[in-house]
Amino acid sequence: MANKSRREFLKTSALASSLLFVPKFLQALNADQTLERLAQSNGKRLVVVQLGGGNDGLNTVVPFRNDIYYQGRPGIALPQNKLFSLEKDLGLNNSMKGFKSLFDEGELGIFNSVGYPNPDRSHFRSMDIWHTGSSATEYLDTGWLGRYLDSNCHTCATSYNGIEVDDTLSLALKGEHKKGLAVKDPKKLFRAASSPLYHQLPQPQSSGEELDYLYKTLTETTSSTAYIYEKSKIYKSSVTYPNTEFSKNLKTTAEFICSGVDSRVFYVSLSGFDTHVNQNRQQAHLLGEVSDGLLAFVQDLKQKDQFKDTLIFVFSEFGRRVHQNASNGTDHGTANNVFLIGGGLKKAGVLNDAPNLQTLEAGDLQYQLDFRNIYATLLDNWLQADADIILGKPFERITGVI
Amino acid sequence: MKAIPHQKELQHLYWRTGFGPKPEQIAQAPRQLQKEVKQVFASAEAFTPLQVQVTPYGADAKKELLANERKLLMQQARQELIKINTSWINRMAVSEAQLREKMTFFWHGHFACRTQRPDFALNQNNILRQHALGKFSDLLLAVSKDPAMLQFLNNQQNRKRHPNENFAREVLELFTMGRGHYTENDIKNAARAFTGWGYDAAGNFVFRQKAHDTGSKTFLGKTGNFTGEDILQIILDNPQTAAYITTKICRFFINEQPSPTITQELSRKFYQSGYDIEDLMYTLFRSDWAYAPENIGNRIKSPVELIVGLQRTFAIDFQDPQALIVLQRALGQVLLYPPNVSGWPGGINWIDSSSLILRMQLPQALFAAGKINISLKDDDIDMVPQLSLAERTFNRRINARVNMQAWQALLRDTPDKQLIQQTAAFLLQPGLHVHLAEKLQQETTDAARPNKINLLALRLCSLPEYQLC
Repeated sequence: MANKSRREFLKTSALASSLLFVPKFLQALNADQTLERLAQSNGKRLVVVQLGGGNDGLNTVVPFRNDIYYQGRPGIALPQNKLFSLEKDLGLNNSMKGFKSLFDEGELGIFNSVGYPNPDRSHFRSMDIWHTGSSATEYLDTGWLGRYLDSNCHTCATSYNGIEVDDTLSLALKGEHKKGLAVKDPKKLFRAASSPLYHQLPQPQSSGEELDYLYKTLTETTSSTAYIYEKSKIYKSSVTYPNTEFSKNLKTTAEFICSGVDSRVFYVSLSGFDTHVNQNRQQAHLLGEVSDGLLAFVQDLKQKDQFKDTLIFVFSEFGRRVHQNASNGTDHGTANNVFLIGGGLKKAGVLNDAPNLQTLEAGDLQYQLDFRNIYATLLDNWLQADADIILGKPFERITGVI
Repeated sequence: MKAIPHQKELQHLYWRTGFGPKPEQIAQAPRQLQKEVKQVFASAEAFTPLQVQVTPYGADAKKELLANERKLLMQQARQELIKINTSWINRMAVSEAQLREKMTFFWHGHFACRTQRPDFALNQNNILRQHALGKFSDLLLAVSKDPAMLQFLNNQQNRKRHPNENFAREVLELFTMGRGHYTENDIKNAARAFTGWGYDAAGNFVFRQKAHDTGSKTFLGKTGNFTGEDILQIILDNPQTAAYITTKICRFFINEQPSPTITQELSRKFYQSGYDIEDLMYTLFRSDWAYAPENIGNRIKSPVELIVGLQRTFAIDFQDPQALIVLQRALGQVLLYPPNVSGWPGGINWIDSSSLILRMQLPQALFAAGKINISLKDDDIDMVPQLSLAERTFNRRINARVNMQAWQALLRDTPDKQLIQQTAAFLLQPGLHVHLAEKLQQETTDAARPNKINLLALRLCSLPEYQLC
């Protein structure tokens, strides 16, 4: 039956496309609205880069004058001559040449010991906490960037205001009313959304909230994917990126930005940082991928004069234990470093104290800075949104950086 | 108020008390709704445990393992967890005890838990199934003494000298009373009462007297040398527990925003019955409220409900465990892997651009051997270790057999003129609106039976309306 009905289906699909009912949500979406929104914003955009698996921050930004570091990690500690020297007795993993040059240009900032109270060492739960911006004892259904979309653009009929370059959407970008758009390959998504089976369906005469929501999402998806697909043809990057999936996704992001896609939030992930066994080779490879990819991305944006309005935030769900394990790897830990990269940083370099390896809690770093202080600062100072509402309570902003 | 056609009410019953009707059920449906409600409950009486071959991992827990031995064991455990997952999906699709399976599914979202041990997972699943329609008090006690849950909520580490509050907190916040009905101090005292509750390597509940805090505790205004059992009893004595559970059941089975008057009444009865779940469900599904127009076709099917629903209606045989897992992951609901202890948020949270497109592509992938091309996130490495992009990429046809015989038989005698309306009546609980009917009419005029029946099924299942039940 399969093949037969497929032929039947193909035959009728040509007919389907001739029946155009223009959905009301599409009608609402006009160019003026888009322009107006851009004019209201300050034109700044945020690119979030997620390192999944729990990157070992202590072998990324290394406290090379600290004996405890070397004592705890006899098999994997990195000697000073294998590091790029930064400041405050910290050195950068030498696979991160790109980050070093950004650091030297004053375009890279590092926060050490970022975390939250009662840290959870499960990947999924800790990532959940970072995505939702919750505390360790609460469970939220929405992501911090999704709630930003809610607050910023509640009535917009578009879902491309937050874009994740992937096939599926992360919790971080799911708001209560608004959700971001997951798009890895604009052409593929455009084709999928254009299937005659559900493309340009006539709108029902509102019969229920849930059905309205489904039609609204469908219409937004169709119009957004068409918009993105058309837009993304405008700028094709000429910068050479490393030949990796992560870099390809960054390149897509750069093309969106430089083509003028009206999104203020972008999300890109790289996973594989769960280095329990023979860590150093694997981590160096991954950090190289992050650093080389982001350097190319920055160069791309600079060519189109977009870097000054772009801020890149790099995080992982947790760091790893101070002491290595028996397999020359590290196990799940707590506080970790995060990176900020941007052409508009007010202050760059190592932005707070080096991690304190002396006062540990059950062998783990204690956090100096709650990640939600960074979220609040990004939302408030960079995206000019109401961080208190988005995060559900006030978190102190970090002054003088963004 | 518009009168609801009898057939729609029956389908509503099958969707809400199970995973949707089979064509045979629609064909043989009795004249009286109440009679069929009785039948649904009668069919759910028998408890048949889910049986899957799993390794008793606790047997040599003390044995030192080499790294590669450990790796092999982990791989085996994951395969077994996948097997439990797909066997359960299959059970949902074929079981006669639809209500019992639906309740088991509901309790899995309520007592949301993850474990890496297949023996624990299977055991917990059968605990939920066994007590699914029994007394909530028995269910609560069984889950509280279940090794999977004790492990998940760190009660193994809850000792007199070092209390761990995680278990006590979630019992109060998520399993029984809900926020706002107890204090932080109540949590601390409850945690003390649960000290010593643990399990052994084989997965048996163990009470460790030495780790138990025998001192006096004050909990919800009562003081005594309470044990864990005492705490659970005090929680059950509080009508708020009945209110919390009843509301959650009404939200899951009937409407996300249930009528407070009706939930209060049901909750009072539930409390008086000594937390009899079957009685509550029976009262619920015999009520007019359950079939009110605003409660029909208003529930967004969860990914599992969508998949299993298709499976039942079109007798789909998934010969592709990988595809079943990929679909669950891509759509956002993998059995045995709830996002956290509060379960799946549900409702419109299921729907975003990519999940909606995939939902609407699914029938084509199943009926017309369309390809699914998707890369999954590597975001769940607690359960599935790091996979390469190639391993996370699914780009092929789903290996599944669709058997349209019963479906064809159901529509055999429907005249051509009524075919669209009749097919829609079977498949779309929210109904088919007039413009869409016209569109389909024009698109299918050339098609001839029996393909026309298949084509219409494909078209209608690919609609936003089909996402609702």
